[in-house]
Amino acid sequence: MAWVSTKYAVRSVGRNARRTALSILGIGIGCALALFTESMNRGRDELFARTGAYSGAGHLRVVPAGWSASRDPRLRLADWHADLAAARTLPGIAAVTVRARAQVLLAMGTHVVPVEMVGVDPENEPRTFRFVQKVQRGHYLLSGEQGTVVVGKAIAERLSADLDDEILASAVGKTGDIESAMLRIVGIVSTGSEEFDAGICQVRLDDVERLTGLAGAGEVTAILDDWRATDAARALLAPRLTSGDQALTWGDISPEFKGHMEQDKAASRFISVIILLIVLLGVASAQLAAVLERRREFAVLSAVGMGAVPMVRLVLLEALTLGFAGATVGLALGLPIVWRFARAGLDFRRFMGSGYAFQGVIIEPIIYGDFGVWIVPYVVAVAFGATIIASLYPAWFAARTDPAVALRVAQ
Amino acid sequence: MNETIITTRALTKTFQLNKHKVPALRGVDLEVSEGEFLALVGPSGSGKTTFLNLVGALDVPTSGELTVLGRRVAELSKRARADLRLRSIGFVFQAYNLVPVLTALENVEFVLELQGVGSERRGRARQVLDELGLGDLARRRPNELSGGQQQRVAVARAVAARPRLVLADEPTANLDGENAETLMHMMRDLRDRHGMTFVFSTHDLRVVAHAVRVVTLTDGRVARDEEKSGEAPHEILPGVGKVPGSAGA
Repeated sequence: MAWVSTKYAVRSVGRNARRTALSILGIGIGCALALFTESMNRGRDELFARTGAYSGAGHLRVVPAGWSASRDPRLRLADWHADLAAARTLPGIAAVTVRARAQVLLAMGTHVVPVEMVGVDPENEPRTFRFVQKVQRGHYLLSGEQGTVVVGKAIAERLSADLDDEILASAVGKTGDIESAMLRIVGIVSTGSEEFDAGICQVRLDDVERLTGLAGAGEVTAILDDWRATDAARALLAPRLTSGDQALTWGDISPEFKGHMEQDKAASRFISVIILLIVLLGVASAQLAAVLERRREFAVLSAVGMGAVPMVRLVLLEALTLGFAGATVGLALGLPIVWRFARAGLDFRRFMGSGYAFQGVIIEPIIYGDFGVWIVPYVVAVAFGATIIASLYPAWFAARTDPAVALRVAQ
Repeated sequence: MNETIITTRALTKTFQLNKHKVPALRGVDLEVSEGEFLALVGPSGSGKTTFLNLVGALDVPTSGELTVLGRRVAELSKRARADLRLRSIGFVFQAYNLVPVLTALENVEFVLELQGVGSERRGRARQVLDELGLGDLARRRPNELSGGQQQRVAVARAVAARPRLVLADEPTANLDGENAETLMHMMRDLRDRHGMTFVFSTHDLRVVAHAVRVVTLTDGRVARDEEKSGEAPHEILPGVGKVPGSAGA
């Protein structure tokens, strides 16, 4: 073990106390900013994934063969009972439900509204589509109540309908004829987003079957405990599906939403990279100055036989020492800030109200930062990575010192 | 007959300063045998430091032949030259050049660590310091040592790995008379006990008094090359004053 070299590197960091302190502070501030950005990125990813999933898409969805290409709501699963059973046995499953969709016209008096009606399992649906829990008036669907419907506030207003009103639902039946059924409004949902409210129309699964004549469910939707496990869960589920039914992720179902999320992520990462680049240049400048000041010393080291590799290692070891101190400062500065935003969140209500809908997803206006065990390794990796990268050129410069020239110049 | 460890034939070194070529060595022919205690003397700009740098494989000659410890320096890669210095050549500089953040012991130990010496390196470093009477200074850093003490530690660092050749560039230039004497006795003693070859450049007549062989460089050439046999230093250094305190002074 190169103990003397290690002592040499560590002690060298303290030679110019003011410059070292400024470098450490710079690394610390950079780490804290990067930590804050990363925490908010993770919090936003979590929020987007959660709101996306609970806005109806789920994390995983089993769809009939051919649905991906046509997105035809009339398609039904080959064996939804088997698919549901397979989804329920996945590890890390939080909730599973089944749905069947149909394009319908709702009418009351002279008012007509086209909507996508969703037939659901009233027991499990609120666990996967949480906005139906926001029943402003009335109640949600009950298992024992046939011929009932829950609609969004905007639909009720467009129909000029109210609780207990009977509305007419018309859809294209299995044979191509127009089929109709009377439904009684038992609940009116208000999410705060008119756009979103205009799309909510839920009935029991058997009511959709009755109206369309199409038996069974069109999808099995699953919510996972951890959205990051989506791809792994799909890989497990896919081989268990029968008769050509397919498992899709929320990203496959809402590619526009996922794209928007990726775009946001890329923008945040870009800001992080800019922050780190500034820190990196600062550290590189300080390290280069330190190497230039010690040119004679490096010449002597070379003269006593120190090769280029040990010299590079020495300078990088000094950088690691700086990085360690910078990481400590970064954690000291960043932890309280990240903790605060993980608890209180970053509130965008002033700019976007209580929420807005994007691609059928209601985005919540408060983003909570992520606070977890990842913080320490992240800060250490950023600090060490930045200082090592920043010190590569100074280290190379030191290793290239020509001892004869440097000693001659010094004399 | 001792083995020849340095051979130079028509050795030249020319530096390019801006657009001008400045010759530092203009054809040096010299042979140095193992165990010699050789002083390089001459006025400033005569090529002493350049010669030491070439022999120490810090630099490569412009032309001519230079063989050090059986290796032709011009043919060695940078890495091979570093390895030659690490394994076989010790350096002592005018300005001591100890690593300021390491103690005396660690400065000596550092060279052994570079050589890849394992767990016994601390013991060996301490042994060298004790041998040179520096044991009490082991835990001190260079800024806690006098100039003479620093230079003695520098010698300890140079000889810690028992190199066959030790090169010293004006080792006593920053020392007072007493410290210069002590240093020269120490180097001479090392040469006598371990058979190391010492080549040092100097202006200092007190140092020359200790040399067994004195090579005078003038204008990049060997002007005189004499084995001392009891002569006073002033007799072998034409144009240089007598050594204070020496016979006849």
